[in-house]
Amino acid sequence: MDPITKSFHTTQRPVSRRAALRAAACGFGYLGLADLLSAATENPLAPKAPHFTPRAKRVIFLFIHGGPSHLDTFDPKPRLFRDHGKPLPIKRPLAFADEPAGPLMKPLWEFKPHGESGIPVSSLFPNVATCVDDMCIIRSMVGEGVDHGAALLQTFTGTSTFVRPSMGAWTVYGLGTENGNLPGFITIKPALSHGGAKNWSSAFLPGAYQGTAIGNAGMKVDDVKGEPIEYLLQKRFSPDEQRYELDMLQNINRRHAAMRAHDPQLEARIESFELAFRMQTQAPEAFRVEQAESDATKKLYGLDDPTTRDFGWQCLLARRLAERGVRYIQCTHSYKWDQHSDLFDKHTENAKEVDKPIAGLLKDLKARGLLKDTLVIWAGEFGRTPVSQGGNGRDHNPYGYTIWMAGGGVKPGFVYGATDDIGYYATEDRMHIHDFHATVLHLLGLNHEKLTYRYSGRDFRLTDVAGVVAQKIIA
Amino acid sequence: MHRILPILFTLSLCTSAIRAQKPEQAEFFEKKVRPLLVSNCQACHNAKVKTSGLDLSSAAGFQQGGGSGSLVSKDDPKTSLLLQVTSYEARLKMPPTGKLKDEDQTTLRTWVEMGAPWPGGSAAAAPKPSGTGKHVTEADRQFWSFRPVTRPEVAAVKDMGWAKNPVDRFILARLEEKGLKPAPPADKPALLRRVTFDLTGLSPSEKEISDFLADQSPDAYAKVVDRLLASPRYGEKWGRNWLDVARYADSTGNDEDHRYPYAWRYRDYVVGAFNSDMPYNQFVREQIAGDLLPASHPGEINRRGIVATGFLALGAKAIAQQDKKKMLYDVYDEQLDVTSRAIMGVTLACARCHDHKFDPFLTRDYYSLINIFANTKDFKDPDTHVSQLLSTPLAPKAEVDRYLAAGKRAEAKQLEMEDLVDQHLERAVAPEVAKVADYMLAARRVYADNVSVSAAASDKGLNEAILEKWVKYLKPRGESRVHLDKWQQAAAAQAPQIAGEYKADFDQQLAGWQVKLAEWRTKFRSADPEHFPAKPKFEASDDRFFFETYIAGPFATEKKDRDKNLPPDLQAKIEALKKEHEQLKAAIPPEPDMACAVQEGDPVEQKVFVRGDYNSPGEPAPKAFPVVMTREQPSVSHGSGRLELANWLSRPDHPLTARVMVNRIWNWHFGEGIVRTPDNFGKMGERPTHPELLDYLASEFVNGGWSVKKIHRLILLSNAYQMSSDVTDTAQQADPENRLFSRFPRRRLTVEEIRDGLLAMDGSLDYTMGGTLQSGTGTDGENSEARLSIRPETVKRRMVYLPLRRANLPTLLNLFDFGDATTASGKRALTTVAPQALFMMNSEFISERSKNVADEVTKTNSDPGARVRTLYMRVLNRQPDASEVDNALSYVSSFAQKFAAKRTESDAWFSLARVLIASNEFIYVD
Repeated sequence: MDPITKSFHTTQRPVSRRAALRAAACGFGYLGLADLLSAATENPLAPKAPHFTPRAKRVIFLFIHGGPSHLDTFDPKPRLFRDHGKPLPIKRPLAFADEPAGPLMKPLWEFKPHGESGIPVSSLFPNVATCVDDMCIIRSMVGEGVDHGAALLQTFTGTSTFVRPSMGAWTVYGLGTENGNLPGFITIKPALSHGGAKNWSSAFLPGAYQGTAIGNAGMKVDDVKGEPIEYLLQKRFSPDEQRYELDMLQNINRRHAAMRAHDPQLEARIESFELAFRMQTQAPEAFRVEQAESDATKKLYGLDDPTTRDFGWQCLLARRLAERGVRYIQCTHSYKWDQHSDLFDKHTENAKEVDKPIAGLLKDLKARGLLKDTLVIWAGEFGRTPVSQGGNGRDHNPYGYTIWMAGGGVKPGFVYGATDDIGYYATEDRMHIHDFHATVLHLLGLNHEKLTYRYSGRDFRLTDVAGVVAQKIIA
Repeated sequence: MHRILPILFTLSLCTSAIRAQKPEQAEFFEKKVRPLLVSNCQACHNAKVKTSGLDLSSAAGFQQGGGSGSLVSKDDPKTSLLLQVTSYEARLKMPPTGKLKDEDQTTLRTWVEMGAPWPGGSAAAAPKPSGTGKHVTEADRQFWSFRPVTRPEVAAVKDMGWAKNPVDRFILARLEEKGLKPAPPADKPALLRRVTFDLTGLSPSEKEISDFLADQSPDAYAKVVDRLLASPRYGEKWGRNWLDVARYADSTGNDEDHRYPYAWRYRDYVVGAFNSDMPYNQFVREQIAGDLLPASHPGEINRRGIVATGFLALGAKAIAQQDKKKMLYDVYDEQLDVTSRAIMGVTLACARCHDHKFDPFLTRDYYSLINIFANTKDFKDPDTHVSQLLSTPLAPKAEVDRYLAAGKRAEAKQLEMEDLVDQHLERAVAPEVAKVADYMLAARRVYADNVSVSAAASDKGLNEAILEKWVKYLKPRGESRVHLDKWQQAAAAQAPQIAGEYKADFDQQLAGWQVKLAEWRTKFRSADPEHFPAKPKFEASDDRFFFETYIAGPFATEKKDRDKNLPPDLQAKIEALKKEHEQLKAAIPPEPDMACAVQEGDPVEQKVFVRGDYNSPGEPAPKAFPVVMTREQPSVSHGSGRLELANWLSRPDHPLTARVMVNRIWNWHFGEGIVRTPDNFGKMGERPTHPELLDYLASEFVNGGWSVKKIHRLILLSNAYQMSSDVTDTAQQADPENRLFSRFPRRRLTVEEIRDGLLAMDGSLDYTMGGTLQSGTGTDGENSEARLSIRPETVKRRMVYLPLRRANLPTLLNLFDFGDATTASGKRALTTVAPQALFMMNSEFISERSKNVADEVTKTNSDPGARVRTLYMRVLNRQPDASEVDNALSYVSSFAQKFAAKRTESDAWFSLARVLIASNEFIYVD
């Protein structure tokens, strides 16, 4: 007799009369649908209504780790050409470098206006430059950390002093996720240094909001592809066999639950196995980037070229996850952009690796109609100094740097904010990281002052007690 | 860009205008204006650094104005300089870091229009510089948790038969009040499983189960409790509980995630303290100030005490933070936070920037405690680029000195050897070094005029290999090298002259450098090898051209070639020195044991920092304990005050120490505390559900010599602990959250219990105690394996002994709610999510356990029914009933049949074992 339908009438365990009745009634069979639904309402990842109509439904954060130079990419400073070699005309703020400030150093790439908007982009990013009419360039970012760790933590959690949930965790806490078969917050090949998992952690939010890491920055794509999410793949049993085993498990679990009244956690765990089984059946498909995509698409992202393959794979995977309803996706171009020296060679090399994939992503999202409700963010943890370090490098600069966004309700072909005439400090429309967070949440339909979580006796926010939404960048 | 202009204004500020006239105005100033001035202006405009002569940290300074004159115009406030400058309308724009936010500008405008009222005198003299103006009142002292513990009368109850001990009477009294009955006793297997997991983190063995079931004596259960409390496994489980509270980990987390290489000694100390039932007051005292307590034998080092202060030393730190003062105060804050949460269950750290919003803790209280931590040493050197962590030797000074001296002697010999080679190389290259200009010009011919290296070299009698390096160095690249610009921009005709200029600079640097080296060599030769002077280093930033050509460029010899082609006499010398060096190295005694601990620091005078900003020191904050908890303040005649803090915290009449700990113990036994927020006994925390019980336990604790095991026995032998976890409909309706403890709360196993329990179940657990699983002391390169924590699936030691890297906790720990090891945590979160199920279904760890136990069970039992019974005993720690056996057997046979093409019966047994391991019954303890 098949064990699943086999009934079960006796019990050795002393149980309440009602529990015994429930057990007798349910036996080893299934519980009713109502029980499962009641378990489902416990799901912390169920979609939730935003505070107001969102402009973006999801985020793709392209993190350029190390500190790309705003002065050599998106924030041209004619004065630096003019005053190349002259001493820094202001008092240098807290720096990362131990040594005294070097002289001003001119940008090493030339800037040209692009697109209809005529926004200047340096020759480092020839492909991204073709998308400039879709981009909203923010030239007035301000952070506080002059070292990578502090700057990453602040970029992702709002603070480097305390342990706080990351922006992705807050987002999924606020909105839930649209696809129960995939995690709501996925970070592809994140860095293990500079705060590591703290940068995608849920901190005091429930663990369900923690980012799921797909490999890490030190791994090769081919090693990540095998088992992108830990424990996702069943390696010994076929799906049929595993389903049969799972039925037995659920049968035993249901009887166990039936004999224990009023315990929703037991039902929730039963349901979590069903969800897990669906996840493991459906999630791997999302990661079959190279098998499922056309040659043209792969070419668009540069998967055909060893230089661009890694970041191209990340970007294309990000698009696939976005299509499947993952709420918050991060790609990381590993810690390569920290050019204290060799700025020309290394920035050239680094930009080559990401330029085509990023442009490919923007074009692909647009062509598929996804760009309008997907907020793409390009950012490093800080920019770099207008003064040279060691003659051929630049130091960290969190006092004024550039990030850009695209899609998701931001003004296309728009430049917001400005730095001073040497690009050291943000001066106009300063966007502190808190303001950036407030703005991203706003685009997602969340009021950053209302998205709170009570912990240790007080209500916490991503933006702490600060944050002003940059209304001017909203389309 | 700064645009500070020497515009002269006359002082025209109306003095009365800066006096606060109304309390609302004072409040407006304190809440809105002062914070704005502090965070935007005072870094440059304060009493010490009066940039442009302006001090914005006091009323007087504000009144006086700066080099540009007075800030407020009384005739026409709208045209006040302060507003012009901050609105970026004037040529002078402030703050230079960027325009104030609109709302801040509005604040300033409103304030100036009020007449710029500045209450009181300067910030330093203000009595309540930063807080909400609160005082600690008598009513504050009467808040339940700050009142002294009183020993309550044991409650009267009707059903005296049920109440086994006073604990039961307090529980039963509340139940009777509500007309509820306690749940019936749990059955024996369930009780044994409950108490065994509870005290050891492992499941009972088959033998333990059968012994207990066979023991019909009335004290059978009490014997089990005694056995478990005496087991070393107890300290591993309960030590881990405390490690959660102590936010223990093996790395700094935050930014660089550097290792605490000796953190494990603190962890072992904690395990040992629980196993030996160290009195809790001593446990507290040692963790705060163990280094200052006497050793058990006079004249010895208090090893245990030093190690215990790991409690303070092992917090998360941002050691690459460049604002070193901020970093230090973040560390002190973290220490204050863990001390106050872990031991007192209060969130004192909230009073860093303002008086506590809810509890009667003033900013002054905060800085008075910070004073103690600021006088404590946490770093070997905080001021290096990445601050250096402190290691404390666990050996007498003489032994440490011997070790260090022997190391120094070997080091000196090594240096002597290297310097001999250096001197030889310097002499050898000297003739070429004299020809810098020739090399530059020859290099130019090669890269600019396409002359071959050999031709260019032979024309001027230059060394070809060196010239080749010069070419590589000088050849223009895409990048700009500011110090070479002049050379590279020179036209051909100017080149000789420019080369001459470079040579002149070079020669000057060389001469200076040679003098420096010669001086050092003289000193080094005559120095005591244990105290030799460090060899000078030429920094790139001293002179980049010289550095890049002489120190590390064309004239330098690469490391791999240094020892090649030495003259025979030098070679012989080196060989002899090498032997001596080997001998010296061999003579170094073993390294003394080390600990990550704190030490007494250099005296620092601590002030209140207004708004938490160290740039705004306010009134002095002498060492003191929070006013609301004590009427006696310590007198600290010398030292940091940690000893006084330790003594105060461990006083029998401290209102919180005993209460907080007995509540923690209750919480770990029942899954919920009597106070359900075990880390917060303040206003925002919950109130005790059974205040008398809490005080009863606290007073028992203190009277019983702070013995944790006595409290365990009191709780575990109560009927309350032995109740069934079944809930009746009545109890569910009357008390859905089980606040009255009418039944035992069912609980999910912790991640350690799941993993360790399963390893023990299939016989794979390695019971070795203590020590470290890592070698070396450093942190390796980014993204290397060594940055990862050791995956708990890959080793067999108990989880408590695995190193924890804060920045990279293993997936398994994150999956099952381990927490993040950065904040004191007496109660873990609990989530039920699909990825946990994936671990049970798919991980190799679970497969292996299933396979092992299935294979063993099938091998040792030929009867299928016996196999099922053994599996149930091993995994679920009880006998299955007949229908469960039937059900399992039919699963095994149907599985084997259905998948006969690929599967055997042993696969079916494996599958059944995995079903039981993945089952709710395994993971939830009744």
